[in-house]
Amino acid sequence: MEKEDQYLVALAVGSQDTAAFGELIRRHQSQVRNFLRKLSGDIFVADDLSQECFLHAWDKLQTYSGHGSFIGWLLKVAYTTFLQSKRKSKRYAEVIGEAAYVAQTESRSYTEDSNEVSDLDKLLAVLTEEERAVMIMSYACGLSHREIGEATGMPVGTIKSVIFRGKEKIRTRFDIKDHQHG
Amino acid sequence: MISKIINMAEKMKDAEDRLLESMFHSEPIADDGFSSRIVTRIRRRMWLRRLALPIAMFVGGSIAIKPLAQLSVAVSKLLTVMPVELLETPVAWIPQPQYVVVGAMLLAAAMLGLRMLEE
Repeated sequence: MEKEDQYLVALAVGSQDTAAFGELIRRHQSQVRNFLRKLSGDIFVADDLSQECFLHAWDKLQTYSGHGSFIGWLLKVAYTTFLQSKRKSKRYAEVIGEAAYVAQTESRSYTEDSNEVSDLDKLLAVLTEEERAVMIMSYACGLSHREIGEATGMPVGTIKSVIFRGKEKIRTRFDIKDHQHG
Repeated sequence: MISKIINMAEKMKDAEDRLLESMFHSEPIADDGFSSRIVTRIRRRMWLRRLALPIAMFVGGSIAIKPLAQLSVAVSKLLTVMPVELLETPVAWIPQPQYVVVGAMLLAAAMLGLRMLEE
């Protein structure tokens, strides 16, 4: 898979092959869109951002060195796109604000089955933006700490402490540990 | 070796990690034309970028035609008051203004044609 990705990247960069890049989009669009949906909390905003992300990725494709996974690099572009758009957008602040309000008024325990988007939004709303991005990359996208470090520009040690801090917040607020043992 | 150990340590997940994974889990999103929409946008952008230079040259040339023609007339008037000996050789080198304009337009059209063929 990784080698195939790198071959497609080489084709896209070398001969401006949009079909090869299209194949890369088909392979990774689900992960990128899921990442941005969870990060922004808004499906429509996330899909717009995903499109912008892939357009940026096309423009910057020659900067992908081939070290590390392509999805890791793509999520780095997605995260940068998200941060850039957030500075411009007021809508993001409104969505997150609403989710944080709901989380405050409706704190509850989670079961393994309650993984609906709205519940996850409430859970994510207690985290800082940085924690949210790192937790999503780790638990939703399955990236290693090294890959998350490359995507966010943070050292691996910092990634570990961000995850620890995020888990601690979720545990305190949503009573996960009690549920786990009970 | 060390990196393998680190990866193994990372993979040793506890029950809490597995619970978090299940909470963060979501079904794959169907493509439903998403990738082809982006590829279409990329192709359109590439096409526009390739056209930008010839179009800019054409527009710039069209705007510059009048002042260029006036400048040429002014220069030719200036040349008539200069001594004949001084002018004999250089005048032969200067093309007529209409040829300059036509040449520039032909050049722009040729570049545009080449870009289209390349595409």
